[in-house]
Amino acid sequence: MKRKILTTILATIIFLTGCWDARELNELGISLVIGFDIEDDKVLITAEIINPVYSSEEAKGDQIQSVEYVQGIGNTILEASRDITLKFDRRLFISHNKVVIFGEEFAKRGLVKNIDQLLREREHRETAKVLIAKGAKAYEVMGISSGVEQIPANYIAEIVNNIKYNPKTGDVNFIQFLKHYYHEGRHPVAGVVEKKSKDEINKVGNDGSDKDYELTTLGMAVFKGDKLVGYLNGNDTKSVNFILNKIRGGIITFPTPSENQEAENLRDFSSTVIIENKTKRDVEIIDNKVILKAKINLKTSMGEIIGDVDVSNTENIKKMEDACSKAIEEGISLAVKRVQEEFKVDIFGFGVEFHKKYPDKWKEIRDDWDQIFSEAEFQINVNTKIIRTGLINTPLFKIKVK
Amino acid sequence: MKNTYEKVKLSYNQVLLLIIVLRLILGLTYMPVVHVSKGNQDTWIILLLSIIYKIIFNFPLIYLSNKFNNFNLLEFADKIMGKFLGTIITMFYTIIFLLANILFVTIFVEVLDVALFPLTPTWFNTVLAFITCAYISYKGLNGLCRFGETVVPIIIGGTFFLVLLGVNNFDFSELLPILSDSSFKDLNLGAMNTSFRFADILILVMITPKLTNKKDLNKIFINSTIYSILMVTILIVATQITLGVEYTKHANFPFLIYTRTISIGEIYGFDSLYIGIWIMGNIMKISAYLYFSTIALEKLTRKNNQVFIIPVSIILIILTIFIKDREPILPIAGRLNAIIQILSIIAIIIVPSIMLIVYYFRRKRLRNT
Repeated sequence: MKRKILTTILATIIFLTGCWDARELNELGISLVIGFDIEDDKVLITAEIINPVYSSEEAKGDQIQSVEYVQGIGNTILEASRDITLKFDRRLFISHNKVVIFGEEFAKRGLVKNIDQLLREREHRETAKVLIAKGAKAYEVMGISSGVEQIPANYIAEIVNNIKYNPKTGDVNFIQFLKHYYHEGRHPVAGVVEKKSKDEINKVGNDGSDKDYELTTLGMAVFKGDKLVGYLNGNDTKSVNFILNKIRGGIITFPTPSENQEAENLRDFSSTVIIENKTKRDVEIIDNKVILKAKINLKTSMGEIIGDVDVSNTENIKKMEDACSKAIEEGISLAVKRVQEEFKVDIFGFGVEFHKKYPDKWKEIRDDWDQIFSEAEFQINVNTKIIRTGLINTPLFKIKVK
Repeated sequence: MKNTYEKVKLSYNQVLLLIIVLRLILGLTYMPVVHVSKGNQDTWIILLLSIIYKIIFNFPLIYLSNKFNNFNLLEFADKIMGKFLGTIITMFYTIIFLLANILFVTIFVEVLDVALFPLTPTWFNTVLAFITCAYISYKGLNGLCRFGETVVPIIIGGTFFLVLLGVNNFDFSELLPILSDSSFKDLNLGAMNTSFRFADILILVMITPKLTNKKDLNKIFINSTIYSILMVTILIVATQITLGVEYTKHANFPFLIYTRTISIGEIYGFDSLYIGIWIMGNIMKISAYLYFSTIALEKLTRKNNQVFIIPVSIILIILTIFIKDREPILPIAGRLNAIIQILSIIAIIIVPSIMLIVYYFRRKRLRNT
């Protein structure tokens, strides 16, 4: 019996050390989103902290905010976060952070160099999304929630997750950012968050408060090394996501093909819904010239047809597929050209492909890759398959049998 | 006080599982092979090549252990080298076991400090680890192997469960290009370096006389080498294709970070599963080395090994706290690696090779005794 008791104590004692590190819920300030800025040459941290009183029974009916905002400043991230403890009664707990927002100035100074603390300490989650506050400080975009979500951090996290419905946004977490940063022949990208004035219909009151604004994650931040160098618009972001093989859903809108010249001139548009996408990047050297290649295979479903096209006809489906492919090809070619001319950095990872395919040649050109990339010819081949046409065949305005 | 070493008989499975887990823990903890220079995306090739080198470098020990399968390493050292040199060799291996123990405990406590109990003092974690390990060691080899039979399948199963959970984050292109950034020479040097790190052959040759069927020794050696290195390769590949080759090098505890990236929908926190199985494995490893340290002391002093368990534990606790609270263990990788490498080379290759040469010249006389 003695032995059994001793064994039980020894077996359980190993798990009891947690008491030493125990942190009671009522001692923690649980943060869901955290922002980093540079102010007066110092790091400014803004944390959105859940207000536990908000969800309690006693608070019902009172005007209590769902979250509190706290700020701290210091020469390092750690110093800034400890500065918060002098003003806020709870210790910041960042394990539940889904999103980390960096102010534009912070990102321009270099992200990787300055986020050491986040990856050194175990509390921060490596899978948190990286967002750059476009043209703003991080704290300027925090606190805005124009969705149904009561907590602004959840609102931001959800609109980033909506990449599955609309790939005009960047969805990059810390691990992915670091992986791309370390890759030879690739520069990282990150998501963007921007404060925009709401359309009139959505404004409640007009008191110049945050109710007048909404956030958008349209676009992508482009980095050279770890320094922010600019932004891509929504369409270019979608094209980058295509080449990076990060398309998980969304739609393609293209001019509806029509035999009727009059209809063609009207520039009617149709949309297909992406079901599946596979992109293969490749690089070739032809006549000592580097050719960048992308081959995209897309499975879609017909989402909307505006125009005179009967998709119960195989020939017309083929026309729609070709029109869809052409639209994607044009969009991607434009995006690549813009990145080549405007940023001159390879954010697509063609350099990585070059390294894989021509490892010996890579050793000679690795230092000049961005220059080679910006001057290289780009070839794109898109193969679209429409595998569903929805519940109707011909457009509604067309009478099938007169 | 009954001697727990004398009457033990161990099955093939018990010893195989014990040796596998001793090696697997190295990969689960800090993956030293990812730091092998120029390995990069070809680390898995280095690991697979290390199987061959491990077999070659461990040959002297395995050969002698086969020849003297009724004796453990320290006993056949006595037989071959004579009383005086045998005692010196025993002292050397006692130091190796003790040093290995300090190293494993300091790393164990370091991970606990960083990943689980940052506020708990080092002494507390160290004392807890040693209380558990001292108890297991006190129960002897039979208890250790029985404990292993229960725990090792959980450790292996849990580890592979974690690998499977992270499949969505895998990017196999991280392993490309193959064999182009590193030369054949680089990979072979890396493989040799890696093969020295698995010093658990010493435990195997200490167990040989306790095997139910002594002919199983070679089978255990080959199978445990292949299985354990394949398992470590899978862990390293999974980590590299998730975190990227370079970030894996930056991480002190790469597999821990790997488990932190796993999510199923909104469910996170799979690192706690890792910590659970990792603690079990480390307890086994520390217990095994503690046990064999005391067996070596038993041979030196001719006193029952159980007498030494508590004093040795106390000395190791003091040394661990002393080392651990002065500087971090893993970041001083260069120094640490150099120490491990030199000791391993001496303990696994040089001393056994000398014994093998002496055996060759004295074999007729030894056969008669």
